[in-house]
Amino acid sequence: MNGRLDGLSAERLRQWLPLATLVVLVVLVGTLQPVFLQPATLLQLASDTAVLFILATGVTFVIMLGGIDLSIQSMASLASVVVALTVARLGYGAFALAIVIGLAAGFLSGLAHVRLKIPSFIATLATGGVLYSAALVISGERSITLADAERSYQSWITGTLFGVPGVIVIGLVVLVGAHVLQSHTRFGRYSSAIGAGEPAAYASGVKVGRQKIIAFVLSGGFAAVAGVVLAGRLASGSPTLAAELLLPSIAAVVVGGTAITGGVGSIWRTLVGALIISVVRIGMTFLGVNIFAQNIVFGILLVAAVAITIDRSKIPIVK
Amino acid sequence: MSAAAVQPVLSLVGVDKRFPGVHALKGVSIDIRPGEVVGLIGENGAGKSTLMKILSGVYQHDSGEILKEGKPTRFHDAADANSKGIGMVFQEQSLLTNLTVGENIYLGNEKQFTRLGIVDWRRLYAAAARQLAKVKVDVDPRTRTDELGFATRQMVELAKALTLEENAAGHLVILLDEPTSVLERAEIDILFARVRALKARASFIFVSHRLDEVLELSDRIYVMKDGAVVGELEAAGADVTRLHQMMVGRSLQAEYYREPLQKPHRSDVMLKADGLTLAGAYKDISFKLHAGEILGIAGVIGSGREELTRTLAGFAPHGGGRLVVEAKEAVLRTPAEAVDAGIGYIPRERRVEGLVLFLPVAANITLADLGGLTRHGLIDAREERRLASNWVDRLKIRTPSINALCLNLSGGNQQKVVLAKWLNARVKILILDHPTRGLDVGAKEEVYELVRAVTAEGVAVLLTSDTLEETIGLSHTVLVMRDGEITHRTSANPGEKPRQVDLIGHMV
Repeated sequence: MNGRLDGLSAERLRQWLPLATLVVLVVLVGTLQPVFLQPATLLQLASDTAVLFILATGVTFVIMLGGIDLSIQSMASLASVVVALTVARLGYGAFALAIVIGLAAGFLSGLAHVRLKIPSFIATLATGGVLYSAALVISGERSITLADAERSYQSWITGTLFGVPGVIVIGLVVLVGAHVLQSHTRFGRYSSAIGAGEPAAYASGVKVGRQKIIAFVLSGGFAAVAGVVLAGRLASGSPTLAAELLLPSIAAVVVGGTAITGGVGSIWRTLVGALIISVVRIGMTFLGVNIFAQNIVFGILLVAAVAITIDRSKIPIVK
Repeated sequence: MSAAAVQPVLSLVGVDKRFPGVHALKGVSIDIRPGEVVGLIGENGAGKSTLMKILSGVYQHDSGEILKEGKPTRFHDAADANSKGIGMVFQEQSLLTNLTVGENIYLGNEKQFTRLGIVDWRRLYAAAARQLAKVKVDVDPRTRTDELGFATRQMVELAKALTLEENAAGHLVILLDEPTSVLERAEIDILFARVRALKARASFIFVSHRLDEVLELSDRIYVMKDGAVVGELEAAGADVTRLHQMMVGRSLQAEYYREPLQKPHRSDVMLKADGLTLAGAYKDISFKLHAGEILGIAGVIGSGREELTRTLAGFAPHGGGRLVVEAKEAVLRTPAEAVDAGIGYIPRERRVEGLVLFLPVAANITLADLGGLTRHGLIDAREERRLASNWVDRLKIRTPSINALCLNLSGGNQQKVVLAKWLNARVKILILDHPTRGLDVGAKEEVYELVRAVTAEGVAVLLTSDTLEETIGLSHTVLVMRDGEITHRTSANPGEKPRQVDLIGHMV
């Protein structure tokens, strides 16, 4: 059958397209700007990608089971504010506090989605609004710069480990942990199953609601980690610190080849997607594109990536 | 009668259709002449639905020809089939119940009543009233459809199909796909009278499981089996027995259902229902299911057997009475609880509830018992591959590899994956909900063989099936349900299998 063969090769193409795109982009930018390929630049690229990657990793768990989390940027911003406000008193405990808030916010989103049966984009849109306002209120609507004494607590983020920047180490830890979770545990398998065929997963005895809530908890937690890292890098906390990161994060997941409808994807793909976004960003900077215009490109990239990665045979009706 | 000399309105010549793993239509040729009601019969999986879907534009045939009034044609989608004079009255009613009767009749065809984007409702409803008059239904077209009974809705569907008289090219052919399945006898009489009265306006293709009705309404009958037409006869000279023989076409029934492999069941009770009741579905259901037993439940739509099945699979917890699973009283609130209690469910909607089509074979096989594969929180990938390969070998699942997506497997092999999933989870009770639906004959036989094999190992099976024949052929015991209650119980051991007619008496 012809159609099926075409389907298979298209599937293969889809799988390798993101990595091929990344390679082409790196070569392209490197040719135009040879300085881009120098180790120092590449290390800088990796450092810049870390926050985006951590955010995107969290939301990957949710997208894998067919949902979406729109509250991640507000969560990350709130986390940065919490760190900035409490690090003087709590020391390292400030980071733990921020992350616990992230986990709790994710839990509430998940609960609203699962128990009240509210579509995840509505539930997390609402959570995002709440978190954003909370960040505004507790920060007094301003950016809080960390004092020198407070910055010493950030050395695990701003410093280096064996010459490797701390953010990259954190990114790698997130990569390994999230990959194991997504590809080697029951939770990861169940979320693929739910994303690819929720009724069958349910009928097979999978506790669908529980898995969904776990995914939202992870998404909130990773968003908080991203906020913590961002606060460390910028030495400040602000209710709008991560304001421009929602679109690039979701774009990173989808550009990496994880289907927005769920079921198909991996953390590796999100890494590739996040790197693509970063390279495009740097490429645009080299080309002199206005930094505020960059989301125009990411918006277009997101739509194009969804159009390419989506399997239309699976969704006859899009609402 | 020189009917054969008249040019057919619609002809199929050697129409062939394949799906992955199933040869659904094997060179089917049929003729529909003007003003004729043509009956189309066959067991589930004989190819009737595929044929109807090709005629209504849902599927496209691979080869062969469709001739409408002698001219080759092809129906690209439902609207295209409509415009070429094919109307449809479907068993799952296609009316939107939140719209009025008139809106339904002209749904998608409002353009003729529209000026500058505004629908002239008065004209639309007047036209709808004329359509309803054709089928002699006395209903205000402004009535919301959900206020009508099923019989009236069926008439509205017929009226809707007849609007094609005005818009479509050529003589009308109306497909009646199981139109009587939800109707009472008196309603059926009315429907048939209308169809006869409309023969001057249209030809009909009548698909039904009820052979007596097919004989009653049709002028000519085609019998299908395994994707091919195996007989064509005038209704006048035929009888139910003859039709049935042609349809089944099997002399060794006992062999087909692997009766020689049917072993007496054991004495331990695996599942006991005691006065089980669910409001609006079934009441006071009591039975015992033993290890190694196949308990078949027969009944028509509305008998409550489907709901009972869903209760035992954990989808619809019972309201009253007691359910005892392996000596422990249970209320199964979710499928997860059913699975924990040792119950596996093989659903009729294999591709929706049975399998995660977009996951590989291996992941589907292990899905219900991942806990058993998990070491220190991680899935043991090597053990998973070993188990999956093992099941693929044991059940002879034909798949390119254990990493192939279930999507690409044939129906029979998909069903074996579902079975493997439950065997891997070591369930002791299997609920088989129409387990051979949509499978071709060879695949069915394999399923029968496997079901016999698992029961021989002590698994208890509760079966609801598409055909009485299958229920009788497979079961040790048959329960008959009607209007939510058990009306009859009988043993169905080899040598004392009940006859279909005996059971039908208790079903209706």
